[in-house]
Amino acid sequence: MQPFQHQAATSVADTIAILSTHKGRAKLMAGGTDLLGILKTRATVAYPKVVVNIKSIAGLDKIQSDGQGLSLGALTRLADIVDSEVIRDAYPILAEAAASVAMPQIRNVGTIGGNLAQETRCWYFRYPHSIGGRIMCKRKGEAACLAVKGDNRYHAIFGGKKCFAVCPSDMAVALAALDAEIQISGAKGQRSVAVTGFYHPLGNVLETDEMITGIKVPRPAPNNRQVFIKHRVRDAIDFATVSVGLVVSMDAKTVADVRVVLGAVASGPYRATDAEAALVGRKLDPAVIEKAAEASVAGAVPLSGNAYKVDITKTLVRQALQI
Amino acid sequence: MTNGYRYIGKDTARKDARDIVTGKARFFDDIKIPGMLYGKVKRSPHAHANITRIDTDRARCMPGVRAVLTHTDIPRWEWGMPKHIPILDSKVRFVGDAVALVAADTPDIAEAALDLINVEYEPLPAVYDVEAAMQIDTSPIYAQFAHNTYPDEPPSFEPEMLGHIRIGDVQKGFDEADFTIEDTCGYEIFPNPLPPEPPGFIATWETPDCLTVYTPSQSIAQVRLIGIPFIGMADIRAISTQCGGSYGTKNANLTPMGYAAVLAKATGKPVKVYFTKEEHFHSYSLRLGSRVRARVGIKKDGTLSAISGVWMVNTGSGSESGPLQIAVGLGEVQLVLRCANWDLKGKLVCTNRSPSGIVRGYGGQELESSILPIIGRAMEKAGINPVDFFKKNSVKPGNGYFWREGKWWTYRGIDFNTAIDKGAATFGWKEKWKGWGKPTAIHGNKRIGVGVGVHSNADVGEDSSEATVKLTADGRAVVYCCVSEAGLGQRSSLCKMAAEVLDLPLERVTLSPPDTQLNPFELGLVGSRGTYAVGSAVIAAAEDARKKLLEIAAHRFKSTADQLETENGKIYMVGRPDKKLAWHRIMGVYHSVTGEGRFEPDYSLCNFLMTFVEVEVDTETGQVVLTRMVNATDAGQVIAPKVLEGQLHGAFGSAGLDTALFEETVLDETSGRMLNGNMVDYKWRTFADLPDVKNVILETPMPSHRFKAVGVGEIATSPGPSAVLMAVYNAIGTRIASYPVTATKILNALGKR
Repeated sequence: MQPFQHQAATSVADTIAILSTHKGRAKLMAGGTDLLGILKTRATVAYPKVVVNIKSIAGLDKIQSDGQGLSLGALTRLADIVDSEVIRDAYPILAEAAASVAMPQIRNVGTIGGNLAQETRCWYFRYPHSIGGRIMCKRKGEAACLAVKGDNRYHAIFGGKKCFAVCPSDMAVALAALDAEIQISGAKGQRSVAVTGFYHPLGNVLETDEMITGIKVPRPAPNNRQVFIKHRVRDAIDFATVSVGLVVSMDAKTVADVRVVLGAVASGPYRATDAEAALVGRKLDPAVIEKAAEASVAGAVPLSGNAYKVDITKTLVRQALQI
Repeated sequence: MTNGYRYIGKDTARKDARDIVTGKARFFDDIKIPGMLYGKVKRSPHAHANITRIDTDRARCMPGVRAVLTHTDIPRWEWGMPKHIPILDSKVRFVGDAVALVAADTPDIAEAALDLINVEYEPLPAVYDVEAAMQIDTSPIYAQFAHNTYPDEPPSFEPEMLGHIRIGDVQKGFDEADFTIEDTCGYEIFPNPLPPEPPGFIATWETPDCLTVYTPSQSIAQVRLIGIPFIGMADIRAISTQCGGSYGTKNANLTPMGYAAVLAKATGKPVKVYFTKEEHFHSYSLRLGSRVRARVGIKKDGTLSAISGVWMVNTGSGSESGPLQIAVGLGEVQLVLRCANWDLKGKLVCTNRSPSGIVRGYGGQELESSILPIIGRAMEKAGINPVDFFKKNSVKPGNGYFWREGKWWTYRGIDFNTAIDKGAATFGWKEKWKGWGKPTAIHGNKRIGVGVGVHSNADVGEDSSEATVKLTADGRAVVYCCVSEAGLGQRSSLCKMAAEVLDLPLERVTLSPPDTQLNPFELGLVGSRGTYAVGSAVIAAAEDARKKLLEIAAHRFKSTADQLETENGKIYMVGRPDKKLAWHRIMGVYHSVTGEGRFEPDYSLCNFLMTFVEVEVDTETGQVVLTRMVNATDAGQVIAPKVLEGQLHGAFGSAGLDTALFEETVLDETSGRMLNGNMVDYKWRTFADLPDVKNVILETPMPSHRFKAVGVGEIATSPGPSAVLMAVYNAIGTRIASYPVTATKILNALGKR
């Protein structure tokens, strides 16, 4: 690892001041589980001058709930989300998604903010600098995406164009299914962004002087059902090959409202609106479920080596609706 | 079974257990020598290129940098088999190949200096496929190897070497066959067995003619044996630290030693080169690639009448041990495929992949994983159940085979069919086997299939061993045998053997440190030789020491040596256990008694393992999950029950069974870069993903040594891959003839894609 300064922030304002001073050369560290990997491999060109410890900010790790919804501080650890009774009771999809992340050691230090802001796992992007030099690509600001012609088994089946890397966050999928918003503070003030709008093909919307401070989750309708399914090569450690987050509320016997969100298929959590349209107002019978599963991959354009993700997506959507 | 033994067959705490769990054991990272510098390697971005210019001026001027070396600064020392791999060269042969070396006061300074070295390259066409490499007639990867093919010459230490099985008359064999199958199958996933600790060396020149090295090694004597010719015949003292896993890889790969040795020479200081995990993935030892094109003749009763073909071995950018691995693989395949007519030739080929070398299974796993799926097609034609086939065709007492040194050996061990039967019964093979291409069961979108694989190895008595045992007057024994600890527990097992012979408390028997200067020659724990070969030398040395001691005692007791016994460091006459004399009364406190033991190679005994597997294939997602595994073996006599269980549990990982499911290195053929050289994208099974495992371990006494043991050794990983391929075929009814069985391959086979 190259040397860097390490500063402990005492507040959000303090953090933003440090970020503003260093203009993109400062990186935030909470659990560090994503950041340290990137620093050690030196996969990205810009190595931070300053690493800002934000664990020292008091009060940013709270789980609070009222009749309106749930609020999570950005420093809430994934392990605490898994264990929270409030969350297990009314927002179980969050506990399930958090429990599916990596392994206990990671969940004990990894935070919700870090999980949302983590960098892609694209293996071209993450190629270690020490072995012949990092691989440059669109996401790093120059050169074309090698994954298009290369081994793209874990890449996007939706969108892409210039970068086919997928968003690896499980929490983003579950939060998007709950229609959550990410609260951001920066030099210009505070703003809040829907989870589905937080990501773009080359990263996320955070400016260099901004940080995530929390997440607001609206309370879902009564009688809703929440499902999170994550498909992966190994049950432990692995990132999703494909994941599905489903929040559905029923009106007597038909679907009143539904959100179907797919993970690891696009640059952010992907809302399968065609599948949702195929479900609203209908009974969840096998024919409708099948139609919704098919509709979930409408518009998918798989690359040379990831068409299997289309099959897995359909299967997961079907399974989620059958539960 | 303990057979009345004091220690053999009983669980005893490993002698290093407390040190490991308390952090006291000294692994490579713990070793620091005063004045030591740190070496780092500048690595190539190209898979194949000539270096046209290297500018090291800025790096040399950096504060804290003590040496920067390129190919023009160092002697042309080469290692490998044959000797051909230079430390640095004017060209690079894979992405991650060494271009320049830096020694500095700290690892961070050395790493920073690498970025200041500018290199210009003239790229050359790169080739990754074994057959494509053989067809290239211009710009070979090594100028001396036309068509990228290594010569068939045996190495200096083995006057003859098996490179081609020629037995009987294959034409006649094919004429006699009821069915003939011709097919090609590859086992070309280049997995990394991934010992937790990366490799490394500390090198320090004691004199211009003597190099001392510290390294975590599986067999430290090999470092000296093959290291001396590598560094221009200077002497080497090689010392092994506690080794954090090897799985075959930390035997003969001298890459980091070369870097440390030339940097130490240039600086006059000890230099430590400790690979990062990334270097461990990209620039060390992967499993060989293997592709077999074979023709197989079989009779209706399951008799193999002829096997012919070519075995193409892809050793990547250099051959660490390829010719010997081919020789051993060709020997091993005869142990599981009895056939009167053979014509199977090995070909060793280099490509621009990362280097491949020694990984447990040592050629045999590679060959069997490639040829057994083809044999499976022949079995299906003949309509024979694979368990019956292997019972019929695996080695039986009186059968012969060519072994690696080209000589014909006759097997004199036990029949393993009892182990096969017990394994089959435990697994429920009879109930689960529904025929070739037929699932055991279908539950909705889940199809269950079963398969079986087999491996046997006559390397239990491989190569030579030497040991001495010193008895001291205070009633203790020191075993001198050059054995390093790579996690196998064998250092403790060897103490148990000596303690058993000498009837001493185990805590009074210790083993010398793994240091080539202190110990007699000992090849080390390679192959499966620990129990029989190394054990024989230790037993012989302990017996010799005991005999010498009792001969001295005979004067005191006015008896003959054979009328005396020793127990817990005291000697008595048989029948008079009340009259005991302590050893110091016999030998005197100023003396010790030393016995010597030696073992000569013996390839007439084998170990054996059959692995039964059950897989579940999800026809919707294409995912294959191993649900059940039964390993069946006959170890002769178990020495350490828990250690043996652990060895068998090793069947999945370390480039074993899981190479059929998900272990592989992924290459980007456009750039020549390995894409998954990290601990997340390289898929290795975790403890959270273990299936139902049962081990069936029989103990039929083997005519080996005093304790009738042969053990299991390295072979636990070998039967798994082909067994999984067979099980997947049975589950889905369509053959997949390559590894691993990814979701894409399954969905394609099911016609979904």
